[in-house]
Amino acid sequence: MTIKLNIIELPKDDYKGGPSSLCPGCGHDQISKVIIDAAWENGIAPEQIAKMSGIGCSSKTPAYFLGKSHGFNTVHGRMPSVTTGANVTNRDMQFIAVSGDGDTASIGIGQFVHAIRRNLNMVYIIENNGVYGLTKGQYSATVEKGSAKRKAEANEQAPIDLCAMAINLGCTFVARSFSGAKKQLTSLMRAAMSHRGTAIIDVISPCVTFSNNDESFKSYGYVKDNDVELHSYDYIPHFTPLEEVDIPEGKYQDIALFDGSTLRLETVGSNHDPSDAVGALSQIHKAEIEKKHVTGLLYYNNEPKTLDEWLDLSETPLANLNEDELRPTKADLDSLMSEFRS
Amino acid sequence: MDTIVNDFTMNIATANGTGSQSANLILLHTMFEMGVPVSGKNLFPSNISGLPTWYIVRASEAGYQAPGDRTHIQVLMNKATWEKDLASIEPGTVIIYNSDVKMPVELDDVIAYPIPMTKMARTLNPKLARMIANMIYVGVLAELLGLDQAILEKAVAKQFKGKAAAIELNVNASNMGREYFRENFEKEDPYCIEARERSPDDFLIEGNEAVALGSIFGGVTMLSWYPITPSSSVAEGIISYLPELRTDSDGKMTCAVIQAEDELAAAGMVVGAGWSGGRGMTCTSGPGISLMSEFIGLAYFAEIPGVIWDINRVGPSTGLPTRTQQGDVSLLYEASHGDTQHIVLFPGTIEECFEYGWRAFDYAEYYQTVVFGFGDLDLGMNRWICKGFEYPEKMNRGKVIHTKEELERIGNFGRYRDLDGDGICYRTLPGSGLEPILYRGTGHDEDGIYSESPSVYVDNMERLKRKIDGARTELPQPVLREEVEQEVGIIYFGSMENTIQEIDDQLEETGRKVSQCRVRALPLSPVVEEFVSNHETVIVLEINRDGQMYGILRKELPIELVSRVYSVSFSDGIPPRARVYTDKILEKLEEVGA
Repeated sequence: MTIKLNIIELPKDDYKGGPSSLCPGCGHDQISKVIIDAAWENGIAPEQIAKMSGIGCSSKTPAYFLGKSHGFNTVHGRMPSVTTGANVTNRDMQFIAVSGDGDTASIGIGQFVHAIRRNLNMVYIIENNGVYGLTKGQYSATVEKGSAKRKAEANEQAPIDLCAMAINLGCTFVARSFSGAKKQLTSLMRAAMSHRGTAIIDVISPCVTFSNNDESFKSYGYVKDNDVELHSYDYIPHFTPLEEVDIPEGKYQDIALFDGSTLRLETVGSNHDPSDAVGALSQIHKAEIEKKHVTGLLYYNNEPKTLDEWLDLSETPLANLNEDELRPTKADLDSLMSEFRS
Repeated sequence: MDTIVNDFTMNIATANGTGSQSANLILLHTMFEMGVPVSGKNLFPSNISGLPTWYIVRASEAGYQAPGDRTHIQVLMNKATWEKDLASIEPGTVIIYNSDVKMPVELDDVIAYPIPMTKMARTLNPKLARMIANMIYVGVLAELLGLDQAILEKAVAKQFKGKAAAIELNVNASNMGREYFRENFEKEDPYCIEARERSPDDFLIEGNEAVALGSIFGGVTMLSWYPITPSSSVAEGIISYLPELRTDSDGKMTCAVIQAEDELAAAGMVVGAGWSGGRGMTCTSGPGISLMSEFIGLAYFAEIPGVIWDINRVGPSTGLPTRTQQGDVSLLYEASHGDTQHIVLFPGTIEECFEYGWRAFDYAEYYQTVVFGFGDLDLGMNRWICKGFEYPEKMNRGKVIHTKEELERIGNFGRYRDLDGDGICYRTLPGSGLEPILYRGTGHDEDGIYSESPSVYVDNMERLKRKIDGARTELPQPVLREEVEQEVGIIYFGSMENTIQEIDDQLEETGRKVSQCRVRALPLSPVVEEFVSNHETVIVLEINRDGQMYGILRKELPIELVSRVYSVSFSDGIPPRARVYTDKILEKLEEVGA
């Protein structure tokens, strides 16, 4: 049996990580698998990837994928700032970040907001289950009104919808998906990896231990029954000529991604155009009223500059500059001082 | 009457936001350019406009740079503080005041020169009268003290960066002040300025600007910052020099600057930059350090290089945000939870502000840890006489492995494996494809793998201790001035350097000969212990309430030496005046029978 290789001739094993220590059946493990598949299928060199995370169940997962990539499991809610410093230092890296709803929507909401505001070039995955798993099941800020975790009163506070927030902040790639929808999630993940700018994927990822009961809006059963898919997706990588791909029968829309790849949207339930921010927000609000989850690519805009672009940084990553490139000359110092002395 | 030449203190009371800072700096620069040893202290409020501000200019032939013990010349411009300013005046003081403020000066043992500054200023430009009035007192002082008008005009040109209209207006105002004084008064006071030969190498510069330049020459690749007094001018200094000094051959920037959303993010960015092989820094003050503490612990434990400058202001909490203190010493040394220990550099001179600006990066990368630069508002935001900056030594980027060959050569690589016995391990960088690990703040073994094993934890913590302890002999070593007698020794650090000579002279007047040891870094050098053991009584002198450096010494000195060490610490927000500390030292020595 020959081992299947990707476009840069690496086996999928080169993208795998260590064994997971999460609860058996955890949605997060499904997402890790999708990250492995997407990075492998996109043919990204593992050493060009940096895995970033905060603290929580979700943030432990970088140990379970991409074992040949450097990673940083940082502090609670502060992954975006570490990613920001790393990004401007080495702009050639592909940053794949994992966070949770506790990590992002509460303690880290400020850093989430400002990473988006700077259009930091990164894939930002939120593994969203509505509870703090690692501290044994407290509600998080994304739990819906009326949703109840196992053996508990329903939540009565208004939820924070991270996708709506991201759209309002001008995030350049905003998607929502479900850890149980492997095909959709893989296409969106691959597209996010082909995007330049902040790509948010808010993935509903049921907590099998604390909130997989029917009363929880983020349980497997509930999401399966109440998932409103915007489109079905086909990711066509830049190394596959578009003309070789079969044209779908119905209506479709192609989105050209930064690295030359294409995300093909085939209309399923709605005519949502991902360039329409107001339309995307309507979809989210409508779903909230109907107690449903709208999934798919909500918003996309490839125009804004990324942080490293508007900082006008050297083409060579700053991490690779040598002493002569970093330190002004003795003549520079002398001329400064003679100016001071004049 | 005998004249008093180049040896007096002036206090200028104005309101914030009236342009008085420009006038005061012109005065300072004029005296400096005339070769007079001079220092200026800006006592300003946390306010943009209206609250009282004072500027203290001291001329001192002996080279004393602290504010003097008393005011010899008082300039009164501000109605709000008028009475209080007058209340503290001693007999014989010269008072130059704006008579248009319509406030009384009812003291008969002073030499008063009332000047209608506002009216005079209005004749030059009614709209800008409030600001121009300040240049009128500069003109009056110039005439009174005998300042050189050509030099003064040069200082005006420098202050207003060649803007012709502003220069003309201000020069005219100064001349108007001069003429008014000549026409209306006979000089009745003894104070005057005489030109001295000035070293052509000297110039005036603020500590924060020197830190900024040092950082740029240190190859900073990322500055993240959140505005906070008194550190903002470090960041703004870097920003202002980057276009000139740090663009590549394509005109692209070789340093990223990010104004962060808060200090937590600023620290996180430093950690991210250091992790991926850059030279990241931030600058802040005490409140920012409090917020950054979580990341400081991560950097210590995960061993990430980074530089943080703390320009100390008065705490606790918001404290006195525009006043000076050495109140963050213990905070910095052990910042963050758990057992931590950090390298702290204490520049005491303007030249050291530049030097430690670049050295901080070398230490951070060599020791793979956070390095603090410790300044304070006094050193950072006042202008000091600088003799020039030395070009840095070759960069030290530490134990970074760049190639497979290097990896093979060292053998048995583990991110946290101590192969050289100095506690400092080798590291590979993201993007290199070499020995990747998942960095973490959780317990980890020599290969960086998660571990809660008690022995792994202990070994790691002991190695970290060994690593930082190894820096004791490598960091800037103490500066000693030892007396033959070796009875009393004073240990001090940072900006106290600018007051110590005057304290020493005052002590000597009482017959006390004291040795001095200026600490320049934490962890302490073994030289400090030697200094203590060489003296019968040792005073640790610092600008805070509790004797924070003293606390560190008590903890680290051998127990038999602890009993000879005493704390003299005091902080009221004002830059240290020699007399205050001299008296406290004498009191302490008497109390302990030394």
